[in-house]
Amino acid sequence: MAARLASLRGLSVLLAALVLSGCDLGASRRAPDVGPGGGNRIDPALSGDGRLLASVLERDGQGRVIVQQQPGGGLRPLRLRRRQPHGSPSLSWNGRYLAVLVQEGAQRRAVIEDRLRGRLLRLPLPPGSQPERLSLASDGTRLAVQLLRNGRRQVEVFDLRGLLERDLPPGQAVLGGGAGQP
Amino acid sequence: MSPPRAQASRPPLVALAAAALLAAISGCGGERPRPLLALNRQLAGEDSSREPALAGRWLALISTREGRDRVQLVDVERNAQLPLPGLNRPDAQLLSVSVDLAGERLALVRQLEGRTELVLYQRSQGSLRRLPISPTGVPRRVQLRADGRQLAVEVSRNGLWQIDLLTLP
Repeated sequence: MAARLASLRGLSVLLAALVLSGCDLGASRRAPDVGPGGGNRIDPALSGDGRLLASVLERDGQGRVIVQQQPGGGLRPLRLRRRQPHGSPSLSWNGRYLAVLVQEGAQRRAVIEDRLRGRLLRLPLPPGSQPERLSLASDGTRLAVQLLRNGRRQVEVFDLRGLLERDLPPGQAVLGGGAGQP
Repeated sequence: MSPPRAQASRPPLVALAAAALLAAISGCGGERPRPLLALNRQLAGEDSSREPALAGRWLALISTREGRDRVQLVDVERNAQLPLPGLNRPDAQLLSVSVDLAGERLALVRQLEGRTELVLYQRSQGSLRRLPISPTGVPRRVQLRADGRQLAVEVSRNGLWQIDLLTLP
């Protein structure tokens, strides 16, 4: 009897330890749907604060970037509706900036939508290259671009200071910029 | 005397109008993205590089040399590559990578021994663990939230691409 009690106690301790240690690798859920009709959802991109999720919704052979609130899935307005297919969205910290690839005629172009000011900024990239993937630093200071040039894929990083205001977490001061400072 | 003065002031006005027209056509207000030359030169040393993911000062990407994929983590401010012990395997094909703002956690999707898997790497511990996808699906692209506590992953299920949000402990 004593041995049985001891083994039960051991088992319960083990179970408690497993729960406390976070043996569960995390809860998973599907991103909220967007209206009826289904379609592929690709290229997920969370804002730095995690409150927005950008993705590309593929329907009828076209890809359109959408931005949803998290959780809940409410759609946020975007200026960018045409120039499809869209691809490789990337959001800044509060979701002020959305970097995305768009189609202009035969050209693939990188643009950044400033959702606060409602303006679209086209990014001139090195001639003879085609952008394939984008990643915007959450503070909006840099952009990494995967370029296809002469059949070769290459990542290049660009400094966007001077083009974008910084998009920082609330309460975080902008450092530098004083006399003699960068 | 006045007509010559008016003529003299015309060329700058024309130049100004031409500059304004050029700026309007080019669609930019004068500032352009400035390439980080030293870093880009370093990246150009690989056979190819792809799937960039920026988080703060960190750039994670997949590079290929002599047919082998590997994850690279670069400190963009110091232009230095960081060691990732235990992460790269010569027999793995890499599909996507993402890094958190602290440069501590990297999420990646890789094909290994015929299986496509989502894994989480913790740099300070050099640990790697597989993240289960439920319901079962095949992952492709992944992105970590800045704090590394949530990830969004593109998953193929029943012929459709969906996005799963996975909370991490």
